[in-house]
Amino acid sequence: MKDIDIFYQLEGISEIQHILAPPDETVAALKARIKAKHGISDDAWLFVEDDDGDIDESKSVGAIATSAGVKVHLHRCRRVDVTVAFAGRTLEHKFAPGTTVARIKRWAAQELGMSKEDVGEHVLQISGTHHRPTPSTHIGTLAKCPACRIAFDLVPDERVNGSSAM
Amino acid sequence: MLPDERAFRADIIRPAFKLAEIEGRWRLEIITWPSALVAVRARDDRMFTLRFELSGFPNAPPTARLWDPGRGSPLAPHLFPKSQGRVGAVFRIDWKGGSALYLPCDREAIEGHDNWRTEMPSKIWRPADGIAQYLELVHELLNSRDYAPPGQP
Repeated sequence: MKDIDIFYQLEGISEIQHILAPPDETVAALKARIKAKHGISDDAWLFVEDDDGDIDESKSVGAIATSAGVKVHLHRCRRVDVTVAFAGRTLEHKFAPGTTVARIKRWAAQELGMSKEDVGEHVLQISGTHHRPTPSTHIGTLAKCPACRIAFDLVPDERVNGSSAM
Repeated sequence: MLPDERAFRADIIRPAFKLAEIEGRWRLEIITWPSALVAVRARDDRMFTLRFELSGFPNAPPTARLWDPGRGSPLAPHLFPKSQGRVGAVFRIDWKGGSALYLPCDREAIEGHDNWRTEMPSKIWRPADGIAQYLELVHELLNSRDYAPPGQP
């Protein structure tokens, strides 16, 4: 059977990683390979993207694959404390490290009661920086153990302008 | 092969680019150095092809324009995404004849706009992030609420 594409992100590394896995490899074996590849000896957990639940590590990689392969996250934290500040309010919630920035934004917008128009005009920016992670970024790449936290501001996405027609 | 072409060919096998291809967000069509065609999917599944000019990649920012791959020529203005909101501000036909996207990460657009470096630092070209940075911005626009297909109200 054809190997499955495994796209994964992990603590402290901003770039998406890729390896191949045979469909009958267990999740536990996959996790061990990823840990070995990155020299991680501490306890760490594997999470399916945007899923807060724990993976049954006895399952096969084939059992958790989608048409795009498998998207997972490896992290030493089981949960990340997320805050989102906007207009004098600060939202707080715990998410799995494999949660995408896109999901965090959807959650914050819903909690704040923002209109769809307003949602499109705002982006998440890491507090105290100009860094705006892409929607597919896992929050675990931004949060280090043992702090296991990340703070965002929900800021206007400036429109490109400033020039007259040429 | 020159260093810029070698760097681009290495960039498009990075996982972020390949994942987006597998998920259908964009698709590399062809490389004819120093140009490359990449089609980007809009939220109505319409594909818009960008013709990149990539000389000096990745230290020099890329520049791109909308392209008609069937005709092998620039896309006719009436086939641009409808000019409205933040989409219309980037896919402009009234600026340099539509020969470049009006984005801070575009080589042509950044010229004369040093103010963008402080006003929109997140959209300035980052060589380490590669072509995926440019494509992410375009994909986000074409999948935003401001997008409307050509000829639609």
